[in-house]
Amino acid sequence: MSIVLADLETEPVGQQESAAGATWYAFRHNPMGLVALGLMLVLVLVGLGAPLIAHYPSGFTSDVLQSPSSLHWFGTDNLGRDIMAEVVWGTRISMTVGFCASLLAVTFGVLIGMLGAYFPRADTALGMVVDLSLSLPVLPLMILVAALAGPSLGTIILVISFFSWPEVARVVRSQALSVVNLPYMDAARVLGGRHRWILRRHLLPAVAPVITVTVVLTASRAVIAEAGLSFLGMGDPSSWSWGRILYESQQSGSMTSDWWTTLFPSAAILLLVVAATLIAIAYNDARNPRSRED
Amino acid sequence: MPPLAWYALRRVAHGLVTLWFAITITFLLLRLLPGDPATAIASTNMDATMRQELLTKYGLTESLPIQYGKYLVQLVQGNLGTSFSQSEPVSTVLMARLPWTLLLTGSALVVTVAIGIPLGVVAATHAKGALDRIVQVVGVVGQSLFVPSVGIFLLYILGLKLKWFPIGGAHDENVYGIAWYLNVGWHLVLPCASLALVSLGSYVLILRSTLIESLGEDFCVLARAKGTPERIVVWKHGLRNALLPTTTLLGLQLGFMVGGSVLTETIFAYPGVGRAIYESVIRLDFPVLQGAFVLLAATVVAANMITDLAYGLLDPRVRTA
Repeated sequence: MSIVLADLETEPVGQQESAAGATWYAFRHNPMGLVALGLMLVLVLVGLGAPLIAHYPSGFTSDVLQSPSSLHWFGTDNLGRDIMAEVVWGTRISMTVGFCASLLAVTFGVLIGMLGAYFPRADTALGMVVDLSLSLPVLPLMILVAALAGPSLGTIILVISFFSWPEVARVVRSQALSVVNLPYMDAARVLGGRHRWILRRHLLPAVAPVITVTVVLTASRAVIAEAGLSFLGMGDPSSWSWGRILYESQQSGSMTSDWWTTLFPSAAILLLVVAATLIAIAYNDARNPRSRED
Repeated sequence: MPPLAWYALRRVAHGLVTLWFAITITFLLLRLLPGDPATAIASTNMDATMRQELLTKYGLTESLPIQYGKYLVQLVQGNLGTSFSQSEPVSTVLMARLPWTLLLTGSALVVTVAIGIPLGVVAATHAKGALDRIVQVVGVVGQSLFVPSVGIFLLYILGLKLKWFPIGGAHDENVYGIAWYLNVGWHLVLPCASLALVSLGSYVLILRSTLIESLGEDFCVLARAKGTPERIVVWKHGLRNALLPTTTLLGLQLGFMVGGSVLTETIFAYPGVGRAIYESVIRLDFPVLQGAFVLLAATVVAANMITDLAYGLLDPRVRTA
């Protein structure tokens, strides 16, 4: 989104409508996209404002495994901790992991994808590495690495981004390939532009729209991956994430007896991923002039 | 050489390269990461001679290239090392569990395709209609599901509340003959359903868009112009051609499904490779973790190879590509 907004500030949308302006206009008039964007904003606000909404869940109380009530909206867990507080603080960690892992994976993936498309000689090797890593079962590999490096927030972020960049590189590469042979790229080369300049000023803007979508989608996949790792006990034991709530529920056995210990963190994960997917779909629709018309 | 044999050869070579890549990556990760298995089994506050003994026993004192060479030779012989916690060969531990994982992921794959194809066809033939919208919503939501959440939900409702299905394990004790097979199938329903539900979403969405594209192509227009009934245009002309790219993507999804099986098996205490991974994580049993990944990677590679070879047989375009 930030790219679109930045463009809007520099070129006012008026008589001659810019592509970014048209995209934003179409996006604003798509209720699905707006609702999804609103949902995402709410989740971000909950994550940022966690200390204002609930006390950090720690220690234990005697209100063990209470079902949802006006006192504990989402009920309490086996140690009497408020599940709503856990979900709220979990939003913060899960979204941090998603955002950081996505940022790292996208940076690296965009770099590799662009280099692959721009330098045909490097492409065969890079393409092969990407293809190979895409066809392997990633979760068992992530578990192995996380187990080796020891569970901490930093490890989780690094591990997830390390195994997410190939997907980004694949998408960016195919978009960049359709641009590298266009006349304006040749013109930039004829002008004597250095590779770095061409890559930054000519190729990067061409793949930017794809990057916007992949940032959102990669982040949502990272949240799922984090939840999976935490659910298997590979999460950071000192911070709350949605996966850890499920893990504790499974470990203590309340998973099979008290539905509220699993329903609310599950709903949070689903909400975030659906919102991210819908934003991506709405953005793609808005960007495509053909689907914009209907 | 006939094109089919050439194609098969290339495909097998590609599979072997993928497998080698998986093996090398695990080796490098295990040896180069800060918390290497040497420190895990032989911590530094151990008696120095005992530590040295342990390191020698697991061959961790030699130089990296030699370790790598030995590791490759062992793998070719089917030796995956010795489990830290069970003092048994990793291959023995895992091979007993592999059939269950194959059964689980295989059946989930079949269910995904069996439900996904009709749903995709309905959506594509009613493009932009109400049915299409419903299928799209189901697809997007399905794609966004978290495997353990689905598993827990099914287990709670169908297993605990309604008591229709067992909540864990792969079969009961003391059941033999045909009853055993039925018992296995009965235990399979919930884990298989959770895995299939999660992979169904993206499969339907992909099939839908490929089929819409394929139905707009010239050969479908021609078939319609000839007066071929729409049902045959869709199922025979359109779908058959849309299935190829979909199958390739299904291969990619297989890796994801195998990951999902780790989570599903954990929830349902299903005795597959995934459950072994979960148990080894708690005990920090690195040889088993490593062996499980290599084994699962080999499974995915083999499955992809078989699919591609089958497609080469069925579709002559693939052979020449």
